[in-house]
Amino acid sequence: MNLTLSEQDLLREKTEYTGVHPQKFALWIAMASMSMFFAALTSALLVKKGDYRSWEGFRLPMVFLFSTVAVIGVSVCIHAALISYRKAKFVQFRWLMFFSFLLGCLFLALQLKGWGVMKQGGMTITENLSGSFIYVITAAHGVHIIAGLVVMLVFIVHAFRNRKDPIYELRDIINPKRQLNLELLVSYWHYVDAVWVYLYVFLYLNYR
Amino acid sequence: METATAHVTHHDHVHGHEEHHHEEETFLTKYVFSQDHKMISKQFVITGIFWGIVGGLLSILFRLQLGWPNETFPFLETFLGKWAEGGKISQEFYYALVTMHGTILVFFVLTGGLSGTFANLLIPYQVGVRDMASPFINMLSYWFFLSAGIVMFFSFFIQTGPASGGWTAYPPINGLRDTAVNLGSGLGFDLWILGMTLFIVSSLLGGLNYIATILNMRTKGMSMFRMPLTIWAILFTAVIGVLSFPALLAGCVLLEFDRLLDTSFYLNNIIINGNLLGYKGGSPILFQHLFWFLGHPEVYIIILPAMGLVSEVLATQSRKPIFGYKAMVFSILAILVLSFIVWAHHMFVTGLNPNLGAVFTFFTLLIAIPSAIKVFNWIGTIWKGKVRLVTPALFAIGFVSMFITGGLTGIILGNSAIDIQLHDTMFVVAHFHIVMGVSAFFGMFAGVYHWFPRLYGRYMNETLGQIHFYITLLGAYAIFFPMHFMTGLPRRYYTYANFETFNNFNFLAEFISIAAIIVFLGQLLFVINFFYSIFKGRKVLAEKTVDGYDYANPWGTTTLEWSAPIERLHGNWPGDIPTVHRWPYDYSVNGREYIPQTEPLKPGEVSHD
Ligand code: HEM
Ligand SMILES: [Cu+2]
Repeated sequence: MNLTLSEQDLLREKTEYTGVHPQKFALWIAMASMSMFFAALTSALLVKKGDYRSWEGFRLPMVFLFSTVAVIGVSVCIHAALISYRKAKFVQFRWLMFFSFLLGCLFLALQLKGWGVMKQGGMTITENLSGSFIYVITAAHGVHIIAGLVVMLVFIVHAFRNRKDPIYELRDIINPKRQLNLELLVSYWHYVDAVWVYLYVFLYLNYR
Repeated sequence: METATAHVTHHDHVHGHEEHHHEEETFLTKYVFSQDHKMISKQFVITGIFWGIVGGLLSILFRLQLGWPNETFPFLETFLGKWAEGGKISQEFYYALVTMHGTILVFFVLTGGLSGTFANLLIPYQVGVRDMASPFINMLSYWFFLSAGIVMFFSFFIQTGPASGGWTAYPPINGLRDTAVNLGSGLGFDLWILGMTLFIVSSLLGGLNYIATILNMRTKGMSMFRMPLTIWAILFTAVIGVLSFPALLAGCVLLEFDRLLDTSFYLNNIIINGNLLGYKGGSPILFQHLFWFLGHPEVYIIILPAMGLVSEVLATQSRKPIFGYKAMVFSILAILVLSFIVWAHHMFVTGLNPNLGAVFTFFTLLIAIPSAIKVFNWIGTIWKGKVRLVTPALFAIGFVSMFITGGLTGIILGNSAIDIQLHDTMFVVAHFHIVMGVSAFFGMFAGVYHWFPRLYGRYMNETLGQIHFYITLLGAYAIFFPMHFMTGLPRRYYTYANFETFNNFNFLAEFISIAAIIVFLGQLLFVINFFYSIFKGRKVLAEKTVDGYDYANPWGTTTLEWSAPIERLHGNWPGDIPTVHRWPYDYSVNGREYIPQTEPLKPGEVSHD
């Protein structure tokens, strides 16, 4: 099958200038951008916290520690999935992707649980700015997780749909475009996971 | 592309004529869901022109009110209905007009339209690549831009009207979802936030593509210091956008939480109709910080691409190498860095700590240095050049004039002690319209007239272009220059009738309004010229034909864009992408008028970079 010219160029594995695939590079830039977004939110928190008159301190619910563990689990799992993909171990790949997905969902569930705990403790979203910030920050981060889960699901459906067709699966592995997409997805997940770890540490230090 | 195999890597080009349109192009994939950078560029420019007309028209409407506050204009009621009962624009609508005028021109025309058009057109053509790093994301970028526009446009047709709390969207007025505060604070402002969010996504998707393409995908020999200044400018613009827009997004997210979920990020002890609302602890100043952390860099997001276009047009049309190429690059870099640390000069009267104000004054005034270097270099470029006074050159020169005029008032405003007097007066309006609004438009016009042949294979009409230029140049000065002298006149007021001191400005206000109407009509010449020339303009004639492809180089440019055939070709070059051997400004050297970047160095010749 013929490829269009631009697709041929895109398939060039490396470029002479930065040594990374341009789309990966674009993802890094997106990460810089997302980092600015979370930096803006967390610095807004610091500014308001400095405003002692109105800040009502409280302890960060324990649940968020568990969600931190879950999110690290996603990173480990999806990275293992990438490795098995590269080694053409498709059964392993499928299940590891599936587990990553479950862990991702678990993370979201735990975040919701965290909100529940805060609410029970009387810290509703409107109660005090100190609480509002946690809701906003977790929600903003959650949206990034949901986006990651949707793309992950597309991969999983694709992988399970083709499991009866070994020829197809083999073809998959030599398809550089698919491998690139998977690598992009994995990098994205490492990034959003790292962001949560940062946010957790940040919140933990500010809510003691 | 499931069957892609290894052979594609060495099969890097195709031969012959019939092969160059590989995939079947339907109307939908060619014109609507196009992933081709040139088509996306056209989509951006035409959408931008649409928004330019809308945004300009809004300003004419509020200029009617400002110029003739005591008159009525019955035709307004015919068109606007309840917004202009009895032929007089209502207060509510006046504020909506001012707000949407600012939003549309700053974001939709001068950010989205300007960057979108020229980044898409020039990056692949000038750095030598077949398309963007991700053509798909590039397409998405346009579609987010378009949908942002649709949302904003829709807000004109809802019961409570569009947002009306200023383009800066300050709380508390925009922080309450209560039409008792302000009609536009209802649904209109929610749509504003939604539209802006879509817009921000669009500009981020665009920006990361531009950066990744420029840094990774340049053709052989195109080292960084062989890139034309257009590309440098677009690169740094994209970097600024990618790092500063997220702050606005964060600001908007918090604002929408306040509005929909009753949090108090920006609100504190609000009293409405005698009732104290439950908001406590918030501060509108927080929003101002988040807003201006984008807002100031934003003005450079607007002006840098225009500067890039102007540099390129001036060098080409005066047949001289750009003066101080590296100084230009480092000036843009300096502007990039400084633009992130001056935002509080918009906040000198917010109760900012005066010592902090002094710091921001210092950094603000520093920006004058790289700006002045650039101005000096543009003048140095045309100095003693054989300037061809065609429309793009005129607009580029007009840009320099406008940028100087507006930059000088920036230096005045940058001093916190002076700014406390001038803040929120017409002096500020004069400053930023001249330095940003008009200058960026001039840069954009220079670019459109200059690269129209590359976009459409035809020229725009030169006579109309010249008339357009003189109307715009004289008209813009007529509108904005007098504003400097409306001492103390506060901006964004519906009427000054209650302030006797300001009566002596009535004549000026009327004069400005008349000039504005003339300039607006003058812009229609451009619009007519643009669309007429797409279909009927003078064709770019082939200068040579190779392998069945026609080539030309209408302005005699050194850069790569004309090394591709005249016709629109997916992938731009029918054969290999050309290799670059020299910097882009070899004009009038070695006894030649220009030497294309693709021409190898002669034995003994040293490369400029
Ligand atoms: C020499 C460089 C410049 C300096 C020192 C400067 C300084 C300032 C200051 C201090 C203000 C705040 C005035 C006030 O609100 O009281 C201001 C407003 C503004 N400037 Fe500049 N400026 C410079 C160049 C530019 C450029 C190049 C642009 C755009 C391309 C620009 C766009 C604006 C805008 C849009 C506003 C007003 C926004 C608003 O309040 O609605 N300025 N400038
Ligand atoms: Cu500024």
